[in-house]
Amino acid sequence: MLDYLRLEVRRTLRDVGFVIGGIAMPVMMYLLFTNLGGDDSGYKATAMVGMAAYGAVGSALNTGGGVAEDRAIGWLRQLRVTPMSPRQVVLGRALTGSVTVLPAIVAVLAAGGLVNGVRLDAWQWAAIALLLWLGSIPFTLLGLGNGYGLTSQTTGVANMACTMGLAVLGGLWFPISLFPGWLRAISHYTPTNRFAELGTSVADGHAPALGAIAVLTAWLLAFGSYAVLAYRRTGRTV
Amino acid sequence: MSFAGAVKNFGAVRAVDGVDLEIGRGETVALLGRNGAGKSTTISLLLGLNAPDAGTVELFGGAPESAVRSGLVGAMLQESRAVPRVTVGELVAFVARRYPKAMPVAQALELAGIGELAGRRVDRLSGGQTQRVRFAVALAGNPSLIVLDEPTAALDVEARHAFWQSMRAFARRGHTVLFSTHYLEEADAHADRIVVIDRGRIVADGTGEQLKRAAGGSLVSFDLAGRATEGLAQLPGVRSLEVRGDRALLRTDDSDATVRALADLDAIHGLEVTPASLDDAFLALTAPELETV
Repeated sequence: MLDYLRLEVRRTLRDVGFVIGGIAMPVMMYLLFTNLGGDDSGYKATAMVGMAAYGAVGSALNTGGGVAEDRAIGWLRQLRVTPMSPRQVVLGRALTGSVTVLPAIVAVLAAGGLVNGVRLDAWQWAAIALLLWLGSIPFTLLGLGNGYGLTSQTTGVANMACTMGLAVLGGLWFPISLFPGWLRAISHYTPTNRFAELGTSVADGHAPALGAIAVLTAWLLAFGSYAVLAYRRTGRTV
Repeated sequence: MSFAGAVKNFGAVRAVDGVDLEIGRGETVALLGRNGAGKSTTISLLLGLNAPDAGTVELFGGAPESAVRSGLVGAMLQESRAVPRVTVGELVAFVARRYPKAMPVAQALELAGIGELAGRRVDRLSGGQTQRVRFAVALAGNPSLIVLDEPTAALDVEARHAFWQSMRAFARRGHTVLFSTHYLEEADAHADRIVVIDRGRIVADGTGEQLKRAAGGSLVSFDLAGRATEGLAQLPGVRSLEVRGDRALLRTDDSDATVRALADLDAIHGLEVTPASLDDAFLALTAPELETV
């Protein structure tokens, strides 16, 4: 299965669309947004976590795009006539998602530290990267659900809508302090907002609030069930 | 492998309608049928991709899934396209490593006739090359049984020829090969045994020679030159009579007896005896049922 993981990660990294949209875009948006206005170092750190989270969400959902593509071209069906078990294939795909979120996270954090001069303790950098990595799992599951449940064309659109919608709504692009009150209330229940909160609270020097973990866990269960249902419906007979 | 009364429905369509079939080790068998005759469904049952609604399908004495899981089977499926963003070598090596007794990657590529393409990206190859990559994927694990679903569909003559050479090289190593096709000549030229499937049923099973004989050995034709046709269908050996313009065509099991009888009638003007082609055999096997539609 590590073999499968290696193959799929390699295929993902060779996807120019992924490298530009999933890694370069968040970095450029981060540098652009933080250097247009004044020199607010606090915002530079928060925006760094937000954009790293945005990059991770996009990359995690991209896994679903890969699944939909592999269904369409018959690659998943071909795997079914090799000795690989269906479980290995699904698990390999989920692991691929969790590996391919790393470049975006690392790239945006590097841009923050090296270009924007964000200063944090070593443990904070490590903890932020680790939390963003773990926190991206619900989004990988959402992507897998889309990939197994929808056709390859609609998966692309759905993933794009999910990424953009959740990113904006969760305050990954613009701070939610700019939102009207009702929207801010909704934002607190989005997975993206709580996902970024894992990182921002560490940047502020304290552990994430229980509320963030609770909301994120609820989304983990919801997206996990969605992925299982989608897989049961189509994945077994690709 | 064996099928016993296997049935598979897709909605109201009965794609496979009670198939009984046994194939022994080392055979090269062609599954011949028109488009939509049930070839692909039969293959998907055999590979465990679909379960039969009734009857049983066994591979190597067990469930198809367990034979596939133990690495005894390799397959080239019909509706699969090039896997993007991998090289030929990476892809074939990956598949080979899934199998317990795989052959070296270089050998698999050589057998498939694509030894020089190992470093190329699969999604940047021509149609014929892609088809051979898929063949290499099917044989990389050195499986005892290899199943090829319409392996030469959409290939040009040259590519088809090269493909069959590769296939025969693989079969000579003692592997069982089952391929489906709707090209009669391919089935005749490359299989030891032809199984004709029509409307989800097996309508004939044997060598090309046997099928031709079963369909009526030869075709005797002559110029009628104004003579009446009654009585011709009752001549010895004759199975059927057809009149095309001024020529009578008699399909016969015993051309010698038929010709002798025609000589007695002095009906030998422009007489011609030709062996029935496999096309004739195929049409004879599948046509009668067509009329009942």
